[in-house]
Amino acid sequence: MNTILIIEDDIALREELNTLLTNSGYNVKMITEFIDVTEQMKKISTDLVLLDITLPNENGEAILQQYRKSSDTPVIMLTSRTGDMDEVLSISYGADDYITKPYNPTILLLRISAILKRTAKTVKALSYRDVKVSVAKGSLTREDKEQILTKNEMLIFRHLLDHVGEIVSRDDLMTVLWDNDEFLNDNALSVNISRLRGKLEDLGLTDAIETRKKQGYILR
Amino acid sequence: MRFRDYIKDHALIITVYAASLIVIEIFLKAFGTNVQAMGVVAAVFILMAFVVHIYDLRRRKRFYDVLETSVKELDKKYLLPEVLDEAHFLDGKILSDTLQDCGKSMTENVTSEKRKMQSFREYIELWVHEIKLPVSALNLMCHNNKEIDPKMKVQLKRIDDYIDNVLYYARSENAEKDYIIKETPLNRAFSAAAGKNREELQLLNATIKASNLDVSVMTDGKWLEFIIGQLLDNTIKYRDEEKALEIRVSTKKENGKTELIYEDNGTGILKEDLPRIFEKSFTGSNGRETQKSTGMGLYIVKNLCDRLGHTIRAESEKGKYTRFTITFADNDYYCR
Repeated sequence: MNTILIIEDDIALREELNTLLTNSGYNVKMITEFIDVTEQMKKISTDLVLLDITLPNENGEAILQQYRKSSDTPVIMLTSRTGDMDEVLSISYGADDYITKPYNPTILLLRISAILKRTAKTVKALSYRDVKVSVAKGSLTREDKEQILTKNEMLIFRHLLDHVGEIVSRDDLMTVLWDNDEFLNDNALSVNISRLRGKLEDLGLTDAIETRKKQGYILR
Repeated sequence: MRFRDYIKDHALIITVYAASLIVIEIFLKAFGTNVQAMGVVAAVFILMAFVVHIYDLRRRKRFYDVLETSVKELDKKYLLPEVLDEAHFLDGKILSDTLQDCGKSMTENVTSEKRKMQSFREYIELWVHEIKLPVSALNLMCHNNKEIDPKMKVQLKRIDDYIDNVLYYARSENAEKDYIIKETPLNRAFSAAAGKNREELQLLNATIKASNLDVSVMTDGKWLEFIIGQLLDNTIKYRDEEKALEIRVSTKKENGKTELIYEDNGTGILKEDLPRIFEKSFTGSNGRETQKSTGMGLYIVKNLCDRLGHTIRAESEKGKYTRFTITFADNDYYCR
């Protein structure tokens, strides 16, 4: 389980972030006293930091600059400022990503998991049951059978695979697709899912994707 | 200042001169002075008056001619005291001193108003950052608590939109440079803006056809995102209920410049309204029909485009389509 450190001075926001990340299966740590934040950060072992830019006493960008001198733990900057200037500054100080409030929770989770995947020390080959998943080739291989997935189908399949055994809402799938410049509408999503189902059936996997009425889909 | 006007203005003095001359001549006659002497006195008198007034006329003419032409030609008329020559006569001096004083007081006034505007604008920025915190918290609460009606999210999105409107209005009116022009991928700006409107677009079952967005332009990413957001917002507001909503976005290279073409199949804009849509507070017939228009959205968009050095133009056919084209200056323009 990955650990995420939240550094946010707005209590309501911090608590909601805590709930969001805990529900998504992360171990959450938080800083609640904003004195010598950098020193506190150094003492906490974490896989990723969510850092607010406007903190009391100190500025998040300055903290990041200090923190980068001793650590390369990924940092996502959270901010209510909406200027490109802050973004450029944060990235140049070594932030891994920059998200403006109010953020879409699903997108925040996507960004977090993307960064964690990128920095994961062991790169494990993606697979589902005995199906090999090749994202680069966009294909699924089972024994000697191969199915080529379209970009959309692969995006859907990977998101389901990341949450295997959990219900994934249509809304979450839409967020993923739109975030990848695929602006599907409801019909198109249904079409893509049934095509994906067809391709999985061709590989001999029937009922891999289960529909939960009014909730979403589960990859079994 | 014309000679004739000067004479008219000095009619009284001339009358007094004439009367004095007549009285003197009568006296001289009474004392039995000869006619030649009387003629010389009259000639000297008239010549003196003439010389004095020609001199007076010339110095006044020099001063007031500059004053009059300057007022006509200056586009910033309040700079008048700066261009005036020094006056060499009393009332001219009084006038130019007064003008200087007025100008000074005006400058002080304007500076103090500017300062007030600036601090107001800074407060708006601060306020926007503050109000985004509870909005973010509410957003997360909606997500964390599945029992909350998803309709609330749509309302939260509206609140967030209105907040952004205030922020960008304040920014677009500000003379200072608070943006960064850098290479920005168009697809990133578009998908960020579209993502924010996803729920509403999906409810309307909109089709979005994006093509050739895989290019970078020189702009401020956040500003461009706001601009595209406003276009999407208008598309949603002024959709044609009879048709399935369709949005086409693409880019084109035109004379080395990149053009972003945004088109919807909404209600369109009346031909007579089209030239005025970027004006402040202009709502047009579409605005009157829906009652949702403030006439600010496109005005802010145009203002932001102007400040970033982009041009934006609109084409439309009532009941068929509306198309906005944003032209970005080529990269060389900024590198040079």
